[in-house]
Amino acid sequence: MKTTTPKAGPARAVLVLGAGAAALAGAVLLSLVAGSKPTAPAEVWRALAGGADPYTVTVVQSRIPRTLVGVVAGAALAVAGTLMQGITRNPLADPGLLGVNAGAAAAVATATAVLGPTSVAGTVWWALPGALLAGLAAYTVGTRGGDGGMVRLLLAGAVVSAVLTAYVQAVALSMPDVFDSYRYWVVGSLAGRGTEVVTAVLPVVVPGLLIALAVMGGLNALALGDEAAVATGANVTVTRAGGLVAGVLLAAGATAAAGPIAFVGLAVPHVVRALVGADFRLQVPFALLVGPTLLLAADVLGRTVVRPTELMVGVVTAFVGAPVLLYVLRRTKGAA
Amino acid sequence: MSRTSPKHPFPEAEPPAPATSGTNPSDTGPFPAPDVRPTGRVLRVGRVLALPVHPRSVAAALLLLAGLAAAAAATLSLGRLGVPLAQLPAVLGGQGEATHLFVLERLRGPRLVVAAGTGVALGLAGALFQSVTRNPLGSPDVIGLAPGAGAGAAVAALMLPGVVPVPVGALAGAVLAIVTVYLVTGTGLRDPGRMIVAGIGVAAMASAFTHFVVSVMARDQASVLSAYVNGSLGARSWDHAATIWLAVALTLPFVLALAGPITVNEMGDELADSLGARSTATRTGAVALSVVLSAAAVSVAGPIAFLSLTAPQIARRLSAAPGPNLVLSGTVGALLLVCADLAVQHSPLGDGLPVGLFTMALGGVYLGYLLIREWRKGTL
Repeated sequence: MKTTTPKAGPARAVLVLGAGAAALAGAVLLSLVAGSKPTAPAEVWRALAGGADPYTVTVVQSRIPRTLVGVVAGAALAVAGTLMQGITRNPLADPGLLGVNAGAAAAVATATAVLGPTSVAGTVWWALPGALLAGLAAYTVGTRGGDGGMVRLLLAGAVVSAVLTAYVQAVALSMPDVFDSYRYWVVGSLAGRGTEVVTAVLPVVVPGLLIALAVMGGLNALALGDEAAVATGANVTVTRAGGLVAGVLLAAGATAAAGPIAFVGLAVPHVVRALVGADFRLQVPFALLVGPTLLLAADVLGRTVVRPTELMVGVVTAFVGAPVLLYVLRRTKGAA
Repeated sequence: MSRTSPKHPFPEAEPPAPATSGTNPSDTGPFPAPDVRPTGRVLRVGRVLALPVHPRSVAAALLLLAGLAAAAAATLSLGRLGVPLAQLPAVLGGQGEATHLFVLERLRGPRLVVAAGTGVALGLAGALFQSVTRNPLGSPDVIGLAPGAGAGAAVAALMLPGVVPVPVGALAGAVLAIVTVYLVTGTGLRDPGRMIVAGIGVAAMASAFTHFVVSVMARDQASVLSAYVNGSLGARSWDHAATIWLAVALTLPFVLALAGPITVNEMGDELADSLGARSTATRTGAVALSVVLSAAAVSVAGPIAFLSLTAPQIARRLSAAPGPNLVLSGTVGALLLVCADLAVQHSPLGDGLPVGLFTMALGGVYLGYLLIREWRKGTL
């Protein structure tokens, strides 16, 4: 991966992070303003302050939870992708492509089928072990017999995903009444989530983010290769294990909240690397800002292109993110 | 397969290992010299036609056809509305109870014929594609061709109804998908890993596009979406049957004409060229036929996953013959799809499940097995 290393220095870091924060603020505002009933920013402000007509207040208040979910899920997915790509030294790694999302979906589908419709808070605790198991399965199969390179890991993930996806769809299609709300969850959507979703996934996402911030320095050493990293005094095992745990926690939390959303975890790290260079101590915080920005932008796009209905955000990210996969594959010529 | 055998890009085309070839009458010693002559006999029709006939392939084909007949009879006779086996011959002849005739002509008959035709098309497409890419994973559905065709079909049926026929839309989508994969891999469909990763991307984009088209044009119709994304054989008519069998009939002569050159091509481009086969022209023709067959299958049944990956491999193991085993692959495809559809119709999970999901689950497991085997051999 060829990256132009920008000039280091705290001034630049502050500048870049400030620009990222500004972009995120803009995306949040856009998410509150746009939709099937466009609302002017001034009106949104009045509605938040409590001075607008009840109708506008209702519209704006329905957009607050989905914006929150978008921020949490976007940040979690982006950081998870950055960690996975750093640990595997593989520009194509993405928690979704490794079958983590499909595992979470399969676990939730099973729980819904057996126990009936569950609360969102319950969904989280099903999604987590499912994501963990699927990610482990893909990782074990994909790295069997030594380091097989990036393609092998992805293929294992694709196989795990294919089987689990078929299972999920079969369960969902054979019990349509139970799975009415589930059908939206499984495509990946920010709509129809209450704030309780955010509070339910925070116990998973916050530890994940903390671990990510703790290991990001070690990822820099890991990028040199295992031997060189050990030679610099870094603890490779701790960094890798911590990063993997954090990645799975974050991906599972995001999936539990918003459903399996593909390609955010893949695309954001590439955008981040192009903007701030290869230093993970900058990459992780910046991904924290870029992820929500992109996910909210995709959600706004999905809300506006097919008005008055909506396109699920998972569909938009697949359509925008898949070309990134193809582009990266084209650039990593001969490395596969 | 012995571990010491030289690396071969297409390992299944090797002569069978001695230990497993007890049924092959041409093996005499424990380690027979590799036989480069066409195995088996030659069937001559006058002086015009001379077809090499591989006895084991013929036996396998007959066996498969018998299985197909049994599966077809079961499809027609099982279940609440089924025609009892004893009355089946009469009903097939056009006599019998009105309900039985209705079941045969409107419900089960078209579905069965579409299933068989789609299976043949997918089996042929897979055999052609795997052979010319010299890549056992190089199947049209692995590279996102079926989702592409599904997206094209959705556009033709929902956005441009009456302007573009659905099969034409499916063909356009399939062509677009394969061109994208070809350009992205940059290695001309040779490298299995890159090809599959590119296919994942193309498939994701195509199904996202299908979601978009369906949510714009047919809001709140989950069943419509399911038909374009999963592949189903429910509620097929004789029109569908005519479409798929017409496509098979039109392409079959070209497919059979390519069988010889393709077999030569498997030895490698340089060798094939020096033997007088035009390798590039052969490859282009085979890929084009494969795309047409896949698109026809998608336009009548939606994207049915992993069938064109599996059928040629099973055919190759059954016949133990070199070359693409085209006819046998088509037969295996038909048998697999008819059986899958039979299983779906009588599965305990409830009917109405798209058959594509069933094949996706089984085919996914098979793909996993195949990948692990390729890794062990170090070809991937």
